[in-house]
Amino acid sequence: MSASRDPNQLKYAKTHEWVALDEGIATVGISAFAVEALTDLVYMELPEVGRQLAAGEAFGEIESVKAVSDLYSPVSGEVIAVNEDLAAHLERLNSDPYGAGWIVRIRVNADEKLAGLMDRKAYEKQCAEAEH
Amino acid sequence: MGENATHSSSGAHPVAAQLLVDPPQSGPWNMAVDQALLEAAASAESIVVRCYQWSRPTLSLGYFQKLADRSQHRASASAALVRRASGGGAILHDHELTYSLAIPASHARGGPLAAAIRDTGLLYRAVHTSLIRVLGGLGVSARLCEAAEADAGRDQPFLCFERRSAGDVLCAGFKIAGSAQRRYRGAILQHGSILLQRSEAAPELPGIADLTGVELSAAGLAHLWLPDLSEALGLECRPVELDPALRLRAAEWEAGRFGATEWTALK
Repeated sequence: MSASRDPNQLKYAKTHEWVALDEGIATVGISAFAVEALTDLVYMELPEVGRQLAAGEAFGEIESVKAVSDLYSPVSGEVIAVNEDLAAHLERLNSDPYGAGWIVRIRVNADEKLAGLMDRKAYEKQCAEAEH
Repeated sequence: MGENATHSSSGAHPVAAQLLVDPPQSGPWNMAVDQALLEAAASAESIVVRCYQWSRPTLSLGYFQKLADRSQHRASASAALVRRASGGGAILHDHELTYSLAIPASHARGGPLAAAIRDTGLLYRAVHTSLIRVLGGLGVSARLCEAAEADAGRDQPFLCFERRSAGDVLCAGFKIAGSAQRRYRGAILQHGSILLQRSEAAPELPGIADLTGVELSAAGLAHLWLPDLSEALGLECRPVELDPALRLRAAEWEAGRFGATEWTALK
């Protein structure tokens, strides 16, 4: 379940979360670009299993040496799994952000339109614009 | 913007920014104003630079710190208490100049601060490098903490100024300035403290006056530092009063969050 995914096959939120959708289950993490920007991660807080999330709602927080940032759900639905090991192994966000660095799994609401999510190309364009 | 480009936005037109210089106020109000500025920055256009002080000695906990850990630090037991929205260690705010910068998400698309929005450490270093430059002109020799000197691991001291992270400002081996950020929907709030003088509520932390004999008032340092900081960040700051709508929103944040027991005891 934590095999590294092809980032080209994922969808991305403006706020740098990635989502892999498989039979109504969304696996969510944060992109390598975001991990690099945060640098030196020290702490992460994750949601409870069973929590209902709206698309765009903050579901967790991540702390680096310098900054605290919210994590936003790219989809609406119910949290059905949390990567409990991740908080103790934040280095996995650096080493394998699209695999072992997954954060939550969400059972996506039936009426979810995945509105506003970008493909890899559009996401890379957003990141490139931020760099220049 | 390169490593030092915040200081060398030379050639580029400065970006308009608002400057708030606040009198000493309570911890909950100070944090509420910063939160209101961050919230506004998620949708507004204007960068805000703020300088402020504290009306009484106040211990601010880092966002993730446990309230119970406060008992570790007896000297500050009688100080007021507030929990910040930013991370890091606890700070005893007393004889210090505090600043904040609220940078709207829209500045990620271009301009002198775009790279600083992407790179957490860049804004940190740019602000601190400007401070070091100004302190140098006042006879205070300070430098940035190198990455090799930074603390490793999670078990860090309770007090922020006993921690070391790359980019902190050191003077005679002691940390005299540090900053932290909170990010919200693409916008950044960076706030930080410059320790001017030792506080009775944190006697283990010497300030600039104790280390160098150079006595600075918060207002005096702000007056000297702001022109350099503005240039370093490529800003043209215009003094303003806190917008009435933001003042109202800050009052809501103060009542609903930073002044509320539930928030202070959140962790």
